[in-house]
Amino acid sequence: MPETVPAASSVESGVVLEARGLVREYGPVVAVAGIDLSLAEGDSLTIFGPNGAGKSSLLGMLGGAMRPTRGAVLIRGQEISFSDPRWRHRVGILSHQGFLYDRLTAEENLRFYGRLFDLPGLSERIGERLERVGLAERRTVQVRHLSHGMRQRLGLARALLHDPDIVLLDEPYTGLDPSAAAMLRDVLAELRDGKRTVVMVTHNLKEGLESATHVAIQVAGRLAWRGSPSELDSADFGRQYHAVVEGEA
Amino acid sequence: MSTYFRQLGAIVAKDLLLELRSRDRISSMGAFAVLAAVLFHFSLDTSTTRPQDVAAGLIWMTLIFGGLLGVGRTFHIESQDGAMQGILTSPAHKDAVFLGKTLANFALLFVVSLLVLGVFTLFFRLELGANVGWLVLVLGLGSLGFVALGTLFAAVSSGTSMGETLLPILVFPLLVPMVVYGAGTTGRLIAARPFSEVEGNVKLLGAFALAALAAGAVLFRYVVEE
Amino acid sequence: MVRIAGLRRGGIVLTLLGLAGLIGLYWMSFFWVSTELTQGIVQRIFYVHVPAAWTTFLAFGFCALTSGVYLWLRDERLDRAALCAAEGGLVFATIMLTTGPLWARIAWGTYWTWEPRLTMTLLLWFIYLGYFMVRSSTEDPERGKRFAAVVAIIGAIQIPFIHLSVLWFRSLHPQPVVVRPDGPSLPGDMLTTLLTGAAVFLVLFMGLFLFRYALETLRAEADRRARTSTI
Repeated sequence: MPETVPAASSVESGVVLEARGLVREYGPVVAVAGIDLSLAEGDSLTIFGPNGAGKSSLLGMLGGAMRPTRGAVLIRGQEISFSDPRWRHRVGILSHQGFLYDRLTAEENLRFYGRLFDLPGLSERIGERLERVGLAERRTVQVRHLSHGMRQRLGLARALLHDPDIVLLDEPYTGLDPSAAAMLRDVLAELRDGKRTVVMVTHNLKEGLESATHVAIQVAGRLAWRGSPSELDSADFGRQYHAVVEGEA
Repeated sequence: MSTYFRQLGAIVAKDLLLELRSRDRISSMGAFAVLAAVLFHFSLDTSTTRPQDVAAGLIWMTLIFGGLLGVGRTFHIESQDGAMQGILTSPAHKDAVFLGKTLANFALLFVVSLLVLGVFTLFFRLELGANVGWLVLVLGLGSLGFVALGTLFAAVSSGTSMGETLLPILVFPLLVPMVVYGAGTTGRLIAARPFSEVEGNVKLLGAFALAALAAGAVLFRYVVEE
Repeated sequence: MVRIAGLRRGGIVLTLLGLAGLIGLYWMSFFWVSTELTQGIVQRIFYVHVPAAWTTFLAFGFCALTSGVYLWLRDERLDRAALCAAEGGLVFATIMLTTGPLWARIAWGTYWTWEPRLTMTLLLWFIYLGYFMVRSSTEDPERGKRFAAVVAIIGAIQIPFIHLSVLWFRSLHPQPVVVRPDGPSLPGDMLTTLLTGAAVFLVLFMGLFLFRYALETLRAEADRRARTSTI
């Protein structure tokens, strides 16, 4: 599929996250049909696309949640290994599912993940994170008593607990009320401090374009269009998006 | 190394804490144990059978069916909010995850096995005498082997469209050694035979449990892989 | 494609050879070999049953082995080999379990006996069943293959324990007269017939295996072409 705009090169900063010929098949269904990516420190990529385009599968492979059928994912030049899990410290994943336990408190959930990641100074770290996402007073409340927005906030705290330098977000704005969305926006803005690499999948055009350094549209398992948001504003992009998606259909 | 044990400990603690808060597995296993003993008692014709003669076998069958109830749901707690993916994308070693879950399940089943022993002693009028300690050991070893196989196959069956109903089909053929050695040994200990008579079988039961744990630890990663 | 045709041909040849051998074996067991002392004519089915059982066990061992290597190397052909071995093994086990009780009824007046070989075949039959059920009930076929491999491997690891426990259990409970001739103490012509039986069943199994393997390879090829043509 021809690219309308070539992907921005990021040679100087050093490549942090790379995908080479990623393919994901579920039996006869091809979800991802060959994707190459190259992201440097400080890059922030937003991927748009219709449902069924394979965006979650792509993110799943980038985060090591699933094995590619073909191709490889490299972090700082090293192919991710499924037998040595140490590289997992560098990756944080936030999905629309929170990975939380209903009957554990906010604090207990974070403590559990903190211990899996073997993080030092856990108690202070937990306190700090809960503070940051505005859940400090709810630390001893069981997750089943938290609202959806609060659970997303807790999920965010969990995803960033170990200070990953690669952050993968799968539809993080889904189902958030405006205040939770605002908080998410703030936290994500903080993440884009030039030292982290962020990949976000979203349907939300406005949030997705804001502070992204790279934008792509995924259709039918391939990245059909790549560009940088400085070239377009929201309205233009909306038109571009429809053109690309209908073009591929 | 200590990271490994910390991760293992985190999983055991988390599973047990969740069980403590909801109590649904232990209560269903416990209720099953007592009710099964009641029904078994009524199923016996005491004019032709002595309860003490058949108790050993029935104890182990109760343990197995009750155990299936609890172990079958071991991955259910992870499925609600996708928590399993959170664990699998963490640096925790897959075998640590398996061993952690198995140990937590063992704790639950072991407690239930003591309940089963107690209830059967009461209902079937058993006289355990000095062999109580050995009986507890045998039940422990049997439970350990059972939960190792059960946890592994619970992971397998929860990934299929048949779910938990597949679990007995997968596990039962492999439980023959556990039932043979476990019930055989239990029967003799209940009949006040000395431990030296059953020592060999107890060792085999232990070997069975160890093999199941080792195999599970190695194979678990292939089961949970996406 | 040429390779597949070769496999098919080899499979057909071996199967026909095996079937011919089977006829020969039946002839040997009914007309040539001498009658066993205690059991008489009925014992002759032993020369068909025991090799069939051995072949089932061998098939399972092979299935577990290729499954293990499959998990390690992820080569599709290994999984295909495991599948074909499992199918062959299941077929032989089914034959054994249906003819066994008939023979037992005639020989000993009872339909079932917990004779170690028969017991193991029964349990193995269910492990095979689990293998196939798990393979076909997953959404993602690749997961199904991995699950099946795990079932085969654990089964193989537990077989020694199962065998030991069954033997011990039987030693406590005296059973009706079992087929005795088993080891090197077998008189000459009986040993010959038994070994012939083993060879015949092995050839038959290999024939079926190759034929099935060729079919699976064809199917995989067809799938692959169907998939690449839609892109």
